[in-house]
Amino acid sequence: MHVVIVGNGVAGTEAALAIRRRLSPQNARITLISEEHPYFFSRTALMYAYMDTMQRRDLEPYEREMYRRQQIERIQNRVVDINADAHTITLRSGATLSYDRLLLAVGARPRMVPFEGLDEVKDGLVNFVSMQDLDHCERLTWSTEEAVVLGGGLIGVELAESFVHHGLKVSFVVREPYFWPAALAADEGELIGEEIRRHGIDLIVDQELQVIESDEAGRVSGVRLSDGRHLPAQMLGVAIGVVPNVDWLRKVKTSPELGRGIRVDRSFRTSLPDVFAAGDCAEIGGADEPPLLETIWYSAKLQGQRAASAILGDEVHYSPPIFYNSSKFFGIEYTTVGECVGVPSGTRSLFRSHPKRPITQRILFNEDRVLGFSMLGSRWDHTLLQQWIAERRPLDYVREHLHRAQFDVEFGRVDLTTFKEEERTL
Amino acid sequence: MRQKGSLGWLKHDLTHRGPTAWLLTLGLFAFYFILYYGGRTLAGVAIPDLFTPIAQALHLPSKWTFYGLLYTLAIAIGGAYVIYKYRHNRYQVIRTSVVIFVQATLAFSVPWVLTIFEQPEYYFSYLWPLQIDYFYPSTILSMPLPFILFSLLGSLIMVPLLGIFFGKRWYCSWVCGCGGLANTAGEPFRHLSNKSSKAWAFEKWSIHITLFLALVTTALVIASWGVGQNYPVFAERAASLRSLYGFVVMTLLSGIIGVALYPVGGTRVWCRYFCPMAALLGLVQKFGRYRIRVKDNMCISCGLCSTYCEMGIDVRAYAQRNQDFVRASCVGCGICAEVCPRGVLRLENRWRRDPQELSMDALLNETYRG
Repeated sequence: MHVVIVGNGVAGTEAALAIRRRLSPQNARITLISEEHPYFFSRTALMYAYMDTMQRRDLEPYEREMYRRQQIERIQNRVVDINADAHTITLRSGATLSYDRLLLAVGARPRMVPFEGLDEVKDGLVNFVSMQDLDHCERLTWSTEEAVVLGGGLIGVELAESFVHHGLKVSFVVREPYFWPAALAADEGELIGEEIRRHGIDLIVDQELQVIESDEAGRVSGVRLSDGRHLPAQMLGVAIGVVPNVDWLRKVKTSPELGRGIRVDRSFRTSLPDVFAAGDCAEIGGADEPPLLETIWYSAKLQGQRAASAILGDEVHYSPPIFYNSSKFFGIEYTTVGECVGVPSGTRSLFRSHPKRPITQRILFNEDRVLGFSMLGSRWDHTLLQQWIAERRPLDYVREHLHRAQFDVEFGRVDLTTFKEEERTL
Repeated sequence: MRQKGSLGWLKHDLTHRGPTAWLLTLGLFAFYFILYYGGRTLAGVAIPDLFTPIAQALHLPSKWTFYGLLYTLAIAIGGAYVIYKYRHNRYQVIRTSVVIFVQATLAFSVPWVLTIFEQPEYYFSYLWPLQIDYFYPSTILSMPLPFILFSLLGSLIMVPLLGIFFGKRWYCSWVCGCGGLANTAGEPFRHLSNKSSKAWAFEKWSIHITLFLALVTTALVIASWGVGQNYPVFAERAASLRSLYGFVVMTLLSGIIGVALYPVGGTRVWCRYFCPMAALLGLVQKFGRYRIRVKDNMCISCGLCSTYCEMGIDVRAYAQRNQDFVRASCVGCGICAEVCPRGVLRLENRWRRDPQELSMDALLNETYRG
């Protein structure tokens, strides 16, 4: 069997390793195709490479020797055509590869909006999701004094932190009234906002970008916001989300059915025979359910493993585990589990905050059970929090046992009894 | 990408094996060479003794006291930097404070004060087999009883017992001066350790060979003290092994190479590849309570943990596979847990046997099933 995997990100690589774990090289030939980079690297660590905390080679989670030993073939090229009837794909180099199973794990692309002035921009506008983006940022940093970051999400704050590290004067423009309302409550957003400002970043909320200005050479020279304010900038980082990387599939001979992403069922099958999709590019769901698009590292990793099972013929019915995610905003760590946003009105929440330090816990609950956790500034064992949600534990139980889920370093455990508590109804 | 400006260049160059780093290594080699051989004539060349006059000017008893003072200053200043850098992490603050305290007292001022009171210059923070002399009969017989008891009971009972309960870290990153220098003044170079599986394979051999040599040397020196007068040839061989071990292991590996290679090979070259004490404690650690706990499915494979592991452990390989682990070489400095941006790792002491599937081969070459 020849399994061809397009995309060597976390979903594609996890799938390749999961297949190899069960099928020896005699039974399965595995080919990983990626144009971006010849080896799997950790996209989540791009900011550390940019900040010189890590070198590029450190980003690779596996020794290069691993691919040889596991006999996973690698091709650095771009897939330009799929012929599902002939079970072949064509590369930009002109080569044709035949497959028995094809996995599309092509990830997501930065979202872009047709801002006024965008057409004149030839240089200075950066995203921060790929190795090429890192190259781009590194090249531009030398000639940049001022930078603007657009988009109040995780990549935006990473990019802002990297810019500050390089001594740039950074303005961070967020459309919403506070940082990241998609996940945080107002006081949590304020706390992160304070942390962002403490690092010398001008955090501008409630503003949208109106015009991108550029000089004669086409290099970004500044931006104008919706209130008319002008910010000079030689670099503009756009981090307003990502969209599944599917546009290229609209031009191939036989395209799988597309929605916002590549439509797959719960066993990662596309509409084409023997073609699967997983990770950020996949839109999961049946005909009668809302489509599921997960664009986080953990989901991509899990989906890659599950898709590998499906490719090997197992019965797979993917349903995501209880949601969890984590991040770090400068020095403040963040863990969330369960439902914290978009909850029905009438849901209550307990907001706990440390009297002095930037440490908070928000626990969402209703009459009989806890629904979600949003934790800032200290470390938590999310598996225990997940378990409490799964076991439908009531708030009193959780409050009493909360210390069991603490995951702080030795001697560094936060004293939970000193927290101020405030109950709210949403 | 390095930071802008010439300071950015220098910082990057010094910490990433640039010409500056090699110059520093060369300078450290020269320093140690003159420290050890100053005042002697080697192959017809007189080596200048630079440090004895400085020690005299400072009213210090010898150039070794001067070296101890420099060493202690390096740990104190480097330690202050580390405490500031990790001030939000109480494990690092407490650990580093203890390291500075132990160096300033047990490893520097206490032995000095002892000599003032005409006692032997005894280092409570160094134990056999690291301080191999402390098991040589000639040394033992020259010491008062409490020191002898501390030497014997310390090495044979305290070291393994604490190792079982707290892992090797109680010694390697809380007490020991070699580890102390690595974790303080060596902080800017910790990421230079070799993470490859080849280095791991080398380490397994080299460190256990040194431990074996330490055991053999100690045994032969003791035997030769007992029966040496009857077998002069044997006594001669034992004496030359003793001086060979002293030169190769103590002078060359722990002193000169251990520190001089900081800027190009990372901080724990001696501790990781050669220290017999670390080898012994590593074996104990594998059966003890200490482990690094990994939070399931939270790792984002960023690799900061592996990058900043001074012992060259590929921590990420375990973290991304949700695998709690104990590695013999882990000194428990806690930096992997500190740098992890998702709080995945936690150092723990608790009785729990976790099957640790990952062997060196499994990291690279998981067995095919089915």
